[in-house]
Amino acid sequence: MSPSLFFQIVSVEARKRMSYRVDFWINAVVGFFVQFGIAWFLWTAVYRESGAATIGGYTVNGMVLYFAAAQLLGRIARGLEMDGAISQDVYDGQLSRYLVYPAGFFRFKYAQQLGAMLPIAIQLVLCGAWVPLFIALPSDVHVTLATVAGALVAVLAANFLNFLATIPIQAVSFWADNVWSLMIAYRFLSALLGGQMVPLTVFPDWAKPVLTVLPFRFLYAFPVDTLLGRVSLLAWAGDMAILFAWCAVFGLLARVVWRRASLVYTGVGM
Amino acid sequence: MRRYLRIYANFLRFSFSRAMAFRLDFFFRVGMDAIWYAVHLAFFWLIYRHTPLLGGWNFDQVLVFTSGFFFIDAINMTVFANNIWSFPVLVNSGELDAYLVRPVSSLFFISVRDFAANSFLNLIMASGILAWAIARYPGELGVVRVVVYVALLLVGTFLGYVISMLFLVPVFWMHNASGLREIRFAIGTYGERPHQIFHGWVRTVLVTVVPLALCASVPAQVLFEGITPALLLHVVGVTAALFLAFLWIWSRALRAYASASS
Repeated sequence: MSPSLFFQIVSVEARKRMSYRVDFWINAVVGFFVQFGIAWFLWTAVYRESGAATIGGYTVNGMVLYFAAAQLLGRIARGLEMDGAISQDVYDGQLSRYLVYPAGFFRFKYAQQLGAMLPIAIQLVLCGAWVPLFIALPSDVHVTLATVAGALVAVLAANFLNFLATIPIQAVSFWADNVWSLMIAYRFLSALLGGQMVPLTVFPDWAKPVLTVLPFRFLYAFPVDTLLGRVSLLAWAGDMAILFAWCAVFGLLARVVWRRASLVYTGVGM
Repeated sequence: MRRYLRIYANFLRFSFSRAMAFRLDFFFRVGMDAIWYAVHLAFFWLIYRHTPLLGGWNFDQVLVFTSGFFFIDAINMTVFANNIWSFPVLVNSGELDAYLVRPVSSLFFISVRDFAANSFLNLIMASGILAWAIARYPGELGVVRVVVYVALLLVGTFLGYVISMLFLVPVFWMHNASGLREIRFAIGTYGERPHQIFHGWVRTVLVTVVPLALCASVPAQVLFEGITPALLLHVVGVTAALFLAFLWIWSRALRAYASASS
């Protein structure tokens, strides 16, 4: 696929996502502040009733900021708007039309996912910009231009990792018709084990080595910790290397599963 | 009444036949909800590793509260959810016409037509978790309180349905309800936390205008602290008032309905 075609698809998808503007802004602003409010009430209650100054290495403001960043960056990492798009194409037979397109199916889908992500990125910047007005940056958080740049690279890579990781799950639709439940289950699990619901430092010590080995932390905890200045440059580079290794693993798995799955595709839809 | 029961029995029959046509999805849904329950419990378990109380409740109390929330969610997923999700499509595509001309209440038909048979197992699972959480509770609860608690959870389920519909009814005028639906999902999280952690106007809103706290949290408060007539009256009163408001808006909405592709 030529770069111009790739960016054309990205552009079309981004415009499509912004076609209902009222929805777009309601979704962005209200959705974020509602979630932010819950995190604030929950964690201030936890710190107040426990009497602790820090939990998992975070002060109360640091914890709320972590949650806000995890919500915002998590939306980019997950590429939520395209959740289940591949399995839906298999389910209703739309996959067939991609056979005549002058582009590979996965590249097409990835371009669409990037396009769907652009409006979310705008939401992220606009909502994120307000956060420091509500909460003063605590001493355990160090946001700089370098950490913002590092988080941006990390979250883009996380988005790609998520795209690859969900292909084998969505490929189950070749045999099982409807895999919506599997995708939701994956989202629940990755949110908990990847650090979107709570920082991984809050988990008990015995669980931490397991969580470090799993790929989920690269979707949420890694970009957020990078943004909040809790990852050194050396550790960041090492984690990026592991993240790309996971991309290679899931890419290979996706290739194998997809080849087998394609053999049972009938192209008639359900 | 008997006619409505007969119609509902037919809904059940069709729903179970449809669910059996997608057997793997049936089991995926069970697995999905089991994971959702586990993630939810793990979340509170992690929080209680760092605090003895949350909103004045200990872990045993939050376990009962969360199980009550699972119970409500499972009923909602089984009875109402599919219908609520597809309702805006009916309005925008004009398919609502077919419901309006039938000799039964259009609201009844729209709200309960699609019984999610594949979520029915989850309702059994959620009921089991609730029974387990109550049975393992170390304090004295008493049979009457438990019965009132379950009754209030059923009222809370109905309240959750009314709140969801109130968020979707603007589709008659706005033609796209996905933004409002997203807000409903987002604010739904407020109902998943003990209401005592909220304070000020947020707490007031949660027990009156958008009474998500009345669905699971306040019933749990009644279970732990005892039955007070004022609290019961408040729950029933707010539910009735919201339902009447919804019926009024519904009748206005139907008048605004412009039929196909409105």
